[in-house]
Amino acid sequence: MYAIQMLIGAVMIHALAAVTSLVFRRDDGAAIAAAGFGGALAGLLGLLAGLSALGAAPVAVDWGGPFPFAPFTLRLDGLSGLMVAVISGLTVVASIYSLAYVREYAGRGVGAMGFFTNLFVASMLLVVTADDAFWFLVFFEMMSLASYFLVIFDQNEEAVSAGFLYFLVAHAGSVAIMAAFFLMANSAGSFSFAAFRAHHPSEAVASIAFVLALAGFGAKAGMIPLHVWLPRAHPAAPSHASALMSGVMIKIGVFGIVKVGIDLLGGGVAWWGLLVLALGAISSVMGVIYALAEHDIKKLLAYHSVENIGIILLGVGTGMIGLSTGHPVVAALGLTAGLYHLVNHAVFKGLLFLGAGSVIFRMHTKDMEKMGGLGRVMPWTSLSFLIGALAISAIPPLNGFVSEWLTYQGLFVAALDGSFATRLATPIAATLLALTGALAVMCFVKAYGVIFSGAPRSRRAAEATEVPAAMVIGMVALALACIVLGLAAPLVVPVLASASAQILNQPATVFVDGAMLSVGETALSTPMVALLLIGLATLPVLLGSLFAIARRAPRVGEAPWACGYLPDGHMAVSAHSFAQPIRMFFRPLYAIRKTVAAVEGWVDRRFDGFVAAARRSESAFDDTLVAPVTRGVGEIGRRAQIIQGGDFRIYCLYIVAALIALVLVTLR
Amino acid sequence: MPTFGYVLVALAQVLLVAAAAPLASGFSRTLRAKMHTRHGPGLLQDYRDLFKLLRRQDVRPPASGFVFRLMPIVMPATLLVIAAGLPILTRATPIAAVGDLITTVYLFALARFFFALSGLDSGSSFAGIGASRELTLGVLVEPAMLLALFVAALLAGSTNLGDIGAAIVEGRTGAIAATLLAMIAFAFTCYVELGKLPYDMAEAEQELQEGPLTEYAGPSLALVKWSLALKQLVVVAWFVGTFLPFGAAVEPTVTGLVIGFLAVAIKVAVIYGLVGIVENAVARARFRLTSRHTWLGVGVASLAFVFYLAGL
Repeated sequence: MYAIQMLIGAVMIHALAAVTSLVFRRDDGAAIAAAGFGGALAGLLGLLAGLSALGAAPVAVDWGGPFPFAPFTLRLDGLSGLMVAVISGLTVVASIYSLAYVREYAGRGVGAMGFFTNLFVASMLLVVTADDAFWFLVFFEMMSLASYFLVIFDQNEEAVSAGFLYFLVAHAGSVAIMAAFFLMANSAGSFSFAAFRAHHPSEAVASIAFVLALAGFGAKAGMIPLHVWLPRAHPAAPSHASALMSGVMIKIGVFGIVKVGIDLLGGGVAWWGLLVLALGAISSVMGVIYALAEHDIKKLLAYHSVENIGIILLGVGTGMIGLSTGHPVVAALGLTAGLYHLVNHAVFKGLLFLGAGSVIFRMHTKDMEKMGGLGRVMPWTSLSFLIGALAISAIPPLNGFVSEWLTYQGLFVAALDGSFATRLATPIAATLLALTGALAVMCFVKAYGVIFSGAPRSRRAAEATEVPAAMVIGMVALALACIVLGLAAPLVVPVLASASAQILNQPATVFVDGAMLSVGETALSTPMVALLLIGLATLPVLLGSLFAIARRAPRVGEAPWACGYLPDGHMAVSAHSFAQPIRMFFRPLYAIRKTVAAVEGWVDRRFDGFVAAARRSESAFDDTLVAPVTRGVGEIGRRAQIIQGGDFRIYCLYIVAALIALVLVTLR
Repeated sequence: MPTFGYVLVALAQVLLVAAAAPLASGFSRTLRAKMHTRHGPGLLQDYRDLFKLLRRQDVRPPASGFVFRLMPIVMPATLLVIAAGLPILTRATPIAAVGDLITTVYLFALARFFFALSGLDSGSSFAGIGASRELTLGVLVEPAMLLALFVAALLAGSTNLGDIGAAIVEGRTGAIAATLLAMIAFAFTCYVELGKLPYDMAEAEQELQEGPLTEYAGPSLALVKWSLALKQLVVVAWFVGTFLPFGAAVEPTVTGLVIGFLAVAIKVAVIYGLVGIVENAVARARFRLTSRHTWLGVGVASLAFVFYLAGL
């Protein structure tokens, strides 16, 4: 009902929390509390706003604003409501988590961190609801800048360099988006999105605008090949900020692609969808391939964001294909799957980043090779991380599986009946999704196994303890969300289906039959899977306890068997050796990255060159322009000194001369 | 929601698979002995082994955590869920809500996840390498498996496993060459999934001390050994139910189910026989070169897809 008012309230509270945090920057405790509690409160309000907008008709409110050409309009509809709910939901958890986590940064400007985090969230809320191209770009810039300051927070060389790359890509992206909006404004005659929706440009112009927007938003989303900044920038930020960046900020990129491609341009031509599908498939496979080779926990997770953006784009691409070729079921299925995975990824990636943050909080390193055995000393963290790992690996009955199942079904229904290009592309995409799934399982077995299982690999790992309660609460909340979003799929899907129907501007399709998701002839019921799993687990439990009384009590042995040699910590598999077979079998794909790294090096060198040139040109500016002027002024001053000789008789003469001159002027 | 009759069918399938798994693996062992012209341990040896292990003390390594203890429960439970959803005795999937091909593939991933993770959790280097190999094989095989099933599903018009089987039995798939190629590709990937020679890599007894099983003992080892036998039987039943469901009951009547059971038993025995011949005629493939083998699976599956597109 009062969705927009609640949203404005949330933004206000974020702003207030940001300023308060900055005001109390001398007092770390107060700053952390202001940013954390303020963020959590605002997040709750925003969550309410988003959820109440999800089922309702679109609401747009015009606040006028200082610029006559761009009225400040906010609009809450299915898409923006969903985004507001996702952003705010994760903000609540990240804020609670930050109450304990940010103490790690005490004395290093936590006030500024609270300021930028709250500003970052507030600008994201405004980006997704702005209904005008001008304000959209303003808030988009604000979001990029606020997150830039979070990336460079550590101020070491790596963070600053990653921040620069991020800055560069973000701005190249916003230039592309700007160009797309200008093209659309040109044909619509206004900057308001309402006008964009009403006047579609010609196919050629629309295609150019869409490709520009896809490039711009794709860069923000971390879509391959525009992903280079992501695995460097996200790990550099503090973990709760990484969770927000990976969990929700990159979704703004997907949001933009859906907004421009479907909402504003109405679906366009079939090849748009195929292009999105292809980019999604490439991003998902390459993202996870690169993730497998990482042993920096946060980099690994950041590469998985690339992968999951790819999976979301597979859904969105399917939806666009359906829309442009006149298959409403394919359109609804694809977009619903994409949106579902968007929500799910926010939840489990948020969870995994918070889990990584907890581990780093105790270990003070991101290198997985130095961890190991943390599962026994950090039970809550490890259990939450395991649930997140299972969810991101699309293991039934958790949430990641449901959205991937819907994505497969979307691809399948699209392949059943469509143009030759669609029938060729969608099964290939499904196969690549299967490859992605298998690789993700391997990657998360490695991540969980190397961090939490086995024997500790360092003294710190052996001495670690569970993290403070606030951090545990944050992780457990998200782990529960993973389970609920998986088991309650029959309740979640109708909400998302109605939101996507609103975006697609078509009547809602029903994919639910009782407690089952049902698409065409086939069905899935996650509650049933869970029920069967629990029910049938009784069989091995019974079998295992068959002779429990007769046999001797279980005991813990001395050491793992090493063929008679003395076992040594170095014998256990490491993150490096575990993924070695994949690096061997997929060598060509890793070779591509070396080329990309060369490009990155080129960017770095150009940057250094640019700075050097700037230094040179600065001095040239001095020599040719500023220096002559200062010299000239000095010279004039010296010459003028002559009339100020210090002799009072000459001064009297000046006065007399002046009087004569004035008399002459008046007499004339 | 499934009818009462189909719930009973699902229950029957679960109990049947659970009870018959050691018999099937015992059959494999007997066959192996016969081919070696040895006397062999007899068909029921695997039951005796399991009961012997169940009476022994459970010993676990000091580094192990809760995943290590959970795996012997999770893995068989998952495989039994798959068995409940497969069209084994009947032509339709008894519980449609878990009888989708994608759900089945991902349930296998659940079993694989815990199996491999328990290897890492034991802290043993052999178990860790076995885990890495298990997952690598999954990566190499799963895409071909999914593509083969996807092509069959496209021909049948549904991703429900029972519908695919029904379409094949009733000859509704249209493109015969594509169906056959999809079947060959799926058979190959299933063979790799069985974990038998030449692809006995993750649990290679001579190379890796049985990989993730290395550190298990007593009742846990019994449960894991049982799950591995279970997995082989479920994979074979999956193949039979999807591509060769001849004789399965159309309706869940008693006579139909009895005939369906006999048909499945014969088909599974024949397949185990064929697998036994292959298994005992080859040596272990070099792990580094496995991808050359699995590319064959991908190739055949792709060929099936091309034939499907051409409508052949």
